[in-house]
Amino acid sequence: MAIFNTRDRTIECRIVYYGPGRGGKTTNLEYIHRAFRKQTIGEMVSINTTGDRTLFFDFLPMGLGKIRGCEVKVQLYTVPGQIRYGSTRKLVLKGVDGVVFVADSLEVRRKENMLSLKDLQQNLAEQNKNIFKIPLVYQYNKRDLAEEGVPIMPVEVMERDLNSKLKIPSLPASAVNGKGVGATLKECLKLTLHHLQEELKWAVQDGL
Amino acid sequence: MSKKEYIKSLVKEAELYRTQSLLTESKKKYLQALQFIQKTQLFSNKEKIVGAIKNKIRILEKDQARITEDKVTPKLSKDVQGLIKRLFSFSNNKEAVRVEGAVALAKFGQHERALKEFHSLLNEGTFPLVSAKNIIRCHMSLKSPDAAINEFGHWVSGDLLSIRQLENIRVFLQTLLEKQGHEAKLPEVVEAPSQIPKTEKKQDDVIDICAVKLKLEDGPQKGNIAEFDVNFQSGNVITVIVSAQQKELVDTLTIGIQLPDMEFYSPIAIFRGSGIVFGKTQIKSGPKKGDYVLDIRVDSA
Repeated sequence: MAIFNTRDRTIECRIVYYGPGRGGKTTNLEYIHRAFRKQTIGEMVSINTTGDRTLFFDFLPMGLGKIRGCEVKVQLYTVPGQIRYGSTRKLVLKGVDGVVFVADSLEVRRKENMLSLKDLQQNLAEQNKNIFKIPLVYQYNKRDLAEEGVPIMPVEVMERDLNSKLKIPSLPASAVNGKGVGATLKECLKLTLHHLQEELKWAVQDGL
Repeated sequence: MSKKEYIKSLVKEAELYRTQSLLTESKKKYLQALQFIQKTQLFSNKEKIVGAIKNKIRILEKDQARITEDKVTPKLSKDVQGLIKRLFSFSNNKEAVRVEGAVALAKFGQHERALKEFHSLLNEGTFPLVSAKNIIRCHMSLKSPDAAINEFGHWVSGDLLSIRQLENIRVFLQTLLEKQGHEAKLPEVVEAPSQIPKTEKKQDDVIDICAVKLKLEDGPQKGNIAEFDVNFQSGNVITVIVSAQQKELVDTLTIGIQLPDMEFYSPIAIFRGSGIVFGKTQIKSGPKKGDYVLDIRVDSA
């Protein structure tokens, strides 16, 4: 739930990286933390467990500076992808303004992508939010693994699996080397700020 | 692709999945390679290769077991606990923010810190029923049923909670104890708990309620309909805040009054039911000073 302070003209929104376990959500945030130093306004907080899996969430606060006369702050979160951490995912998703769904391009993770998307839809519905209406972007991660000779899904297959109904922007990426990470975040921010403009009319001038 | 190349590709794939921590997928590929080798007569060093792959599978299984068994929630630093409180409380009301922060701490397994927060809230009289129930929950999550029972005994002999609130907590604690297989005789509250209807729903059976509408059956406002947002919910007890300006309405809603015609609004459904006013306190400090906190027990929905 974005907070718009009319007096200070600041807006703060929440973007959550969602997706199956080991899909690269934390890697996305780690890259953003390294590559966008100027925009990060605090340390990245990660709470991991055995095997370097996210236990609770990762958190990275960012300040985008003034956009359309308003100071824009963004909180980036990841959820734990493992199925057993369902209640934590719900809590982190509370008040979300935009979602980046990090799908794993590995063929062996096809089913997990679809299960995680269904989980997202259900958790949003519990918050009275519609997956068709919330700002949502797909990132098809781990495209680099094709070079290793491991079977990965063609983008067309992923589009058919995940995007035939939603028809949302999707971007190929390789979070481990930063490819597509910035573009994904930018796309999600664009959608989120547009959506919030309709709701809160935060921007001085229109035409974001 | 020759048979050797096929096996090599399977092993390569398995290794890559292992490096990605996709342990199940990795094991599957190793098993696939193993089965293929065992069926094939081509290799002179077959036993050596089979041994190597079996060893890889053993290591994977150990890693899987370690991850599955690792259920210990780490104790986070004070700073991170503070961050959790801040990030996961959404209300505009100062008191409500404190309760939400403490609930978030408990949900993230920081039960000891959450206990401190709830104790301080209870002692100040802020959302006493919610705070007390969460104290019980924290003790039970910390596997300290004795501490929960002692705490309840302490409340029974004190004056922090009303009789009806104590009755509610007694049922709540009893249910949790039974769920965890503990047998304990809890201290009696003045009104015997046997007076609580046997048909009372278990706490967890009631879904999250966001708002409530009720028809007043008695008093000067008989027939009027009142609507409230739900500020908190703990099992089948919902808490609403009623403005001091609606004093006449508050006076009508006396403790113990039955509310036979209620509508409950949840994110997924609207349903009808009945309830009982279970507790009523006036807020003594903060921006909502003078307003009333009403606890309503949902009896049937």
